[in-house]
Amino acid sequence: MIKPVTQSKILNNHLKRVISDDAFAAKTIVVCSVLKDVFAYSVRYKTTMENKKIPEKRRPFVAAMDLASGIVTAIAQIAVGFSIANPKLQNALWNKMFKNAQFKHIGAAKKSFATILALVGSGVITERIIVPLLATPLAAFVEKKFFKHDPAVTATKKYSNYPFNTHKKHSVFKNFASSNTKKEHLN
Amino acid sequence: MKIPNVTPIKFNQRMANSLEKFSEQGGEKIANYINAAGKFAIAPLMILYNPFTNEPKENKKWAAIKQPVEAVITIAAQIMSLNLLYKGIDKLAEKGKLNFKLVKDAIKGGEIPKAIMEASGGDRAKAIKNLQKTCLDIFKDRVGTVLTIALFVPVLAISNRIFPKIADLLTKDNDD
Repeated sequence: MIKPVTQSKILNNHLKRVISDDAFAAKTIVVCSVLKDVFAYSVRYKTTMENKKIPEKRRPFVAAMDLASGIVTAIAQIAVGFSIANPKLQNALWNKMFKNAQFKHIGAAKKSFATILALVGSGVITERIIVPLLATPLAAFVEKKFFKHDPAVTATKKYSNYPFNTHKKHSVFKNFASSNTKKEHLN
Repeated sequence: MKIPNVTPIKFNQRMANSLEKFSEQGGEKIANYINAAGKFAIAPLMILYNPFTNEPKENKKWAAIKQPVEAVITIAAQIMSLNLLYKGIDKLAEKGKLNFKLVKDAIKGGEIPKAIMEASGGDRAKAIKNLQKTCLDIFKDRVGTVLTIALFVPVLAISNRIFPKIADLLTKDNDD
């Protein structure tokens, strides 16, 4: 079972590229990290859709917000991680930080440096700082842009543009959705 | 007693030493450490002090406590499982069941990646040994990622059970 894997052209080309190209090695780790997040968000989406405690008519929106957050996080992480893994930026930072430092295996250290920086940029700064900061105003913006106001309901909104909408009027939907959106971002 | 002249180790040399030690862990473990550190230290602060949320303070505290609890459980499960997996892969390699085509070709006189040749000081025998080790490490990382993904479901289930108890204890929330 293992032999076809270890002899496969895809795996061996991948190994060769990871060994020879530090930027590719760092990008691969970033993609692996993003894959984990995508999986986690997918699990969250699935559990939300199956969560009987959330009323059926509200479930798709809450789940869609999970999915949207996951997509935004993944795209942002890849963009930042790939930019940091850029060899020009890596070389400039390396020369600035380790000008006179001595290494036993400089090649391995350079590869790890690129990987660590790309992961800190994508997995810590982007995922933990930028996305949470942007998520709340972004959610408010999406809510304003895609959901029409119902003049008959003062404190709540009618979500006629919402693609999952199956009912014409949800009197408490806005309050529920916004509080849930906030809670989802907090988690 | 005469104190010998010791040149202080410069900051960048200390960082270089740490980097080399850290790099021995392998990419998958490094990724998991960084993710856990971010979740443990930064995520709670972002939840507590995000200026754009108007959530009640108690709710924020609860959500903030979830992060370090989940980080600790996740990293513990990941490192334990990865260590077991890596040991298993090493055993397979010792038995000669993991022969990468790249290494086989190198043994037959084929090309050895430049980075490996340079790291081995031009010694071909040493380079082949290093190539086998490097290929094995990369293989471990990729299989490790699959394992880490598979672990998410039980880990999230465990942390979802544990964190409310810890959050309740720390916030002394008597709301429900």
